[in-house]
Amino acid sequence: MSAVETLRPASPSRARRAWTFVRRLPLTGQIGILILLFWAVTLLTVQFWPLVDPLMMAGRRLQPPSADHWLGTDALGRDVLSRTLHGSTYTIPVALMVVVSAVVIGSALGAAAGYLGGWTDAVIMRAADVTLSFPPILLAMTVAATLGPGLPNAGLAMVIVWWPIYARLMRAQVLEVRTREHVEAAIAGGAGRGRVLVVHILPLCWTPTLINATMDFGQVALLAASLSFIGLGAVPPSPEWGSMISEGAAKFYSWWIAFGPGMAILSVVLATAFLGDGLRDVLDRRGPK
Amino acid sequence: MNTTSSFKTTARRRGTALLFGTTSALMFGSAVAAQDTLVVGRSMDVNSLDPSRAFCDTCQIYLTAVYEPLITLGADNKTLEPKLAASWEHNENFTEFTFNLNPEAVFSDGSPVEASDVVWTFERLRNLKGSPSFLMDGTQSIEAVDAHTVKVTVDAPNSEFLNKVSAPYTGILNTEAAMAGGALADETAATADGAEGWFLENSVGSGPFVLVNYAPEDELRLSRNDSYYGTAPAFAEVVITQMQDSVIQAQALETGSVDIAMQIDADTAKSLDTPDVVTEIIPSFNFVYFAFMPGSTAMKDKLTPQVREALTYAVDYDGMIEFTVGGNGNKIAAPIPNGFPGTQNLEPRAQDVEKAKSMLAEAGMDSGLEMVAVYPNDNVYGVDLNVMMQKLQQDFAQVGVEVTLKPVTYPVWREEMAAGTADLTAVYYAPDYYGSGQYAAYFGMTEGSTWVSRAGYQSPETVLNEKEGEIYAQALAASGEEAAAKYEELGRELMADNVIIPLVSPNLVLAHRADIDGVRYSACCNLPLAEISRK
Repeated sequence: MSAVETLRPASPSRARRAWTFVRRLPLTGQIGILILLFWAVTLLTVQFWPLVDPLMMAGRRLQPPSADHWLGTDALGRDVLSRTLHGSTYTIPVALMVVVSAVVIGSALGAAAGYLGGWTDAVIMRAADVTLSFPPILLAMTVAATLGPGLPNAGLAMVIVWWPIYARLMRAQVLEVRTREHVEAAIAGGAGRGRVLVVHILPLCWTPTLINATMDFGQVALLAASLSFIGLGAVPPSPEWGSMISEGAAKFYSWWIAFGPGMAILSVVLATAFLGDGLRDVLDRRGPK
Repeated sequence: MNTTSSFKTTARRRGTALLFGTTSALMFGSAVAAQDTLVVGRSMDVNSLDPSRAFCDTCQIYLTAVYEPLITLGADNKTLEPKLAASWEHNENFTEFTFNLNPEAVFSDGSPVEASDVVWTFERLRNLKGSPSFLMDGTQSIEAVDAHTVKVTVDAPNSEFLNKVSAPYTGILNTEAAMAGGALADETAATADGAEGWFLENSVGSGPFVLVNYAPEDELRLSRNDSYYGTAPAFAEVVITQMQDSVIQAQALETGSVDIAMQIDADTAKSLDTPDVVTEIIPSFNFVYFAFMPGSTAMKDKLTPQVREALTYAVDYDGMIEFTVGGNGNKIAAPIPNGFPGTQNLEPRAQDVEKAKSMLAEAGMDSGLEMVAVYPNDNVYGVDLNVMMQKLQQDFAQVGVEVTLKPVTYPVWREEMAAGTADLTAVYYAPDYYGSGQYAAYFGMTEGSTWVSRAGYQSPETVLNEKEGEIYAQALAASGEEAAAKYEELGRELMADNVIIPLVSPNLVLAHRADIDGVRYSACCNLPLAEISRK
């Protein structure tokens, strides 16, 4: 939340400020934070949980949910609950890295385009337009299929798909803030171009990017799972959610195989949508309430 | 259909549920029998509809319906029966074959089937150098003795030649009609023949059906051949409709929007519990195998014969059948389908983890052996290769061998096979005709065979077994029991190679609506459509 905190007036302690902020979020936003916290804790500690090995046979194959296997077993007799929880260590870090990389790359390019203008602007924004003109899944599939299956490649493919969104957002913000009086005052005062951009413009441009990034997180997790679903993401036997759902689709009547990972993806996407909405309510006073 | 040319789907495509509604309109319960339509739900793997170029399971069904070979395979999947040839003879050492054509046979345009058509078709098949051209390997001369007699001479004894001409790819074409469509049979055919596209819209055979329309990824539509000289088929029309996966086929069968589906996996078949659907689970001639690639760049001097043998003891063969097809399959010893000549006395491999460990330790490979398995990301004959390879990964892990899985699309897999980068692979094979020779030619570790170049890559000496070539030649010079004994000997050699390790011969789920009669699985022809009727 550090980026958020810089926008708030100073108050006694960091924890207290964060708590105050959370309390200002609508209920849905708070639920979103709870769900994301659950997954964050799971992904960091799941290896210490008393779960069976997600990669090895734990019982008979295709068993429905029971006391021994709360979410049943898959086609190889592996415990679906254990696989679902371990799945968080694949999908969530990938989604996080993709969003962070896309934000950093996209924002840097967008800021440069908006601030420098001219041919820099033209080149960067046309590249963004070209990328955006492809349906995201199609472009990601093409890149992932060319590079070969595997989560790192799928991640790279998604960064390529996602950066233009942030480039556009940041450019629009920079264009708007650039004309404000304090910026003109700074320029008149003799500040260098770099300093003006970093000190006087960028700090006022982050809100839409932050809100968007939060909401996109779920979408990226979904795209990562989609790529795995069609066999271009995680490689077996990784318990990645998308590939687990794909296995479940092949054994359609054993509904429990896809249920766990399906709910996991649903919860992440919903949580980020809730939180993103909440953040917009609190931070972005211009948007519709 | 062998692996080099089958055109399986690439990345696993799903979401074909939309297909449901499209076929339901075809079904009219009260339709007059003479106007009745048979609907088959299938994931079509069609690569071509040109008999000399096609090579796929769906192609076998189509070609059998539309074209006729000289000889066909009986319902026992062993005996050869007359088709266009009313009778045939061969000399004692199987180098000369004479076929006497049925004088009543006519093509769909009414013109008679003559010896010249057979000569032209066989020459075209040989000269096109397409996937099924191997069926004409070794033919020295193909001549028309008179209008209804054809004589084929081969350069070395070949007791399997008669079986080869029962393959649907050898179906006889109407020369004049095909040439009008741009087909050529001479030496230039491989480059100059431009009829492949034409064959997607036209059929020029003497079979009980004719092609009406083919829409890739949608449907293949046939109608009754009104000039058919034999018994007219019961259905006026046959539609093979594209249905990607097992579950969709099962649901369409349940609702009655298709009459027959034969790609439902055994697990899904269990959910079919309506009296309207009949499911038969029968042994198939298909099998799925994994293969070591001792010649790969990373495996040089590591995958020695001893290490390969040790690793075959690590595999849980019973578990493999349980995990891949829910127990609905059979073990298979050599890479020759159970029931084919020479397989009767072959003993399938069995797991012995301790033996595997001690042999690996002896070879100094008890730890640190890492392999990359590259295989097509496909679900074939009810076996999900991903599931199978994950099971193999677990089995190998038990003896300290680490396998990294790399599922790829079929075209990428073929490239990787030619690049020597895979240490291990897995794929499938289905017969083109009844006979063990095709397996010797494909899996034998003899100079120039497909698998020597794959498994041996740039060091074929790591896998070569010249004895197999000799045994194969002896088998082709013999017949009956004698030939079967030779194929058995060959099977033992193939097993001792420890390169091709068959894992499962999956059972086939033959599912159809209860009112459908005459559905059977054929080793050459897959599903003979003309024999099917509605009760």
